[in-house]
Amino acid sequence: MQENYLAKWLNNELTEEEIIQFKKTEEYTSYHKIITASNNLQAPEFDQEKALQAINNKRNTIKETKVVKLNPLKKYISIAAAVLLICSLGYFYTTTLDQTISTDYAQNNEFVLPDNSEVILNAESKIAYNKNSWDKKRDVSLEGEAFFKVAKGEKFTVTTNQGIISVLGTQFNVETRTNFFEVTCYEGLVNVNYNGKDYKVPGGTSFMVINGNVAPLSHVKTLVPSWTLNESTFKSIPLEFVFNELQRQFNLTVTTKNVNTKQLYTGSFNNKDLELALKSISIPSKISYTLEENKVLFYAQE
Amino acid sequence: MNIDNHNNVCEEKIYNQVFTTNSKTVFNYIYYKFGNEEKAYDAVQEAFVKLWENCAKVVPSKAKAYVYTIANNLYLNMIKADKVRLKYAHLNTDVSNETPEFLLEEKQFQEKLERALASLPENQRTTFLLNRIDKKKYAEIAELEGVSVKAIEKRMHLALKSLREHINGI
Repeated sequence: MQENYLAKWLNNELTEEEIIQFKKTEEYTSYHKIITASNNLQAPEFDQEKALQAINNKRNTIKETKVVKLNPLKKYISIAAAVLLICSLGYFYTTTLDQTISTDYAQNNEFVLPDNSEVILNAESKIAYNKNSWDKKRDVSLEGEAFFKVAKGEKFTVTTNQGIISVLGTQFNVETRTNFFEVTCYEGLVNVNYNGKDYKVPGGTSFMVINGNVAPLSHVKTLVPSWTLNESTFKSIPLEFVFNELQRQFNLTVTTKNVNTKQLYTGSFNNKDLELALKSISIPSKISYTLEENKVLFYAQE
Repeated sequence: MNIDNHNNVCEEKIYNQVFTTNSKTVFNYIYYKFGNEEKAYDAVQEAFVKLWENCAKVVPSKAKAYVYTIANNLYLNMIKADKVRLKYAHLNTDVSNETPEFLLEEKQFQEKLERALASLPENQRTTFLLNRIDKKKYAEIAELEGVSVKAIEKRMHLALKSLREHINGI
């Protein structure tokens, strides 16, 4: 009998002689019985579907972690970081940056400062303040003309290129135009620092500097600047400043011919009605005018 | 890395085919070794997930050997095997004609066989059952186990011999 004949027998590799010989042995019956019984053996149930499902689930998570990896996350993080950086820089920039409000020709703008102080900005004017440090320092810078109704509180300062006005809480108007600087106080007391010198301007008076000359305080009868009621009022003001104001209020160009622009003007003109305004200026000054589109020519009467 | 899907297991069709053909036998293979269904089930999952992870590196012809190796390595260090429990299918269902004595005797014999199988060395039992239950050829078992066909024949021979001796109480 050859080596491993039992294995050979199971595999039908025995010769006929060997089979006959093997069948004669007494073990054969036992072996045959074992094989017959083992042929009916079954392994435990194996749910192939379920296993494949489970594997597919795992595969999907692998696929995600495999394909997605960390790169997109990295990308998102870097985007987020960049956005955050830009935002914080922007925030830092805008908070340190002054808040600026400006008006153009023929415009008025009324707004409220962080402490509820009211500001009315006349035509072609600009105001700037820092929102962030407002609580510590009430400080605005002004170009042009504005009327302030300051809420009570710490010192309120208006800085202009001609002078510094400081108050504690009052209503006042500041006008700073070329060669013209006027601070009118309607209520309380205003301190004007002009050329390093302090001038106290009490309520109902007006401090004025024309061409560098400080005029004595003049009385003001109105409670608010007339321009806030769409009226520009002048009291012994050279015509050139009146013309300038006219240009600002109506966004036009004024030219003169044989007109003495130093001539003083007292009166007012309407800021909405140009014809009326032109008459209000020309008639008392005894001059004539022509209007073409947005150009006005004032000329001396014959 | 080979990304040609037609020549590796990354292609869904090939992967599923490998699974369908081999998963049951991988399960049985591990079960014969350790007699633990849960471990066998986990081994199948582990092996096929690994196959998927490395699908680009495994050519279809090597996929089968790959999953058996992974499954086998998983419990390589497990010392104690549980008792292998097998069911008996009554393929010749004409049971009613058998006498109660015969049925009892058959049942007793099956119990003896089961105990005998459990007492076999792991490699003999695995070889024997892969051949008898899964109808694997010796060459195929040799490939799975990484040994020669002759070694498998030896295991088969010894397994049968041991089973008889155990059952007959020798």
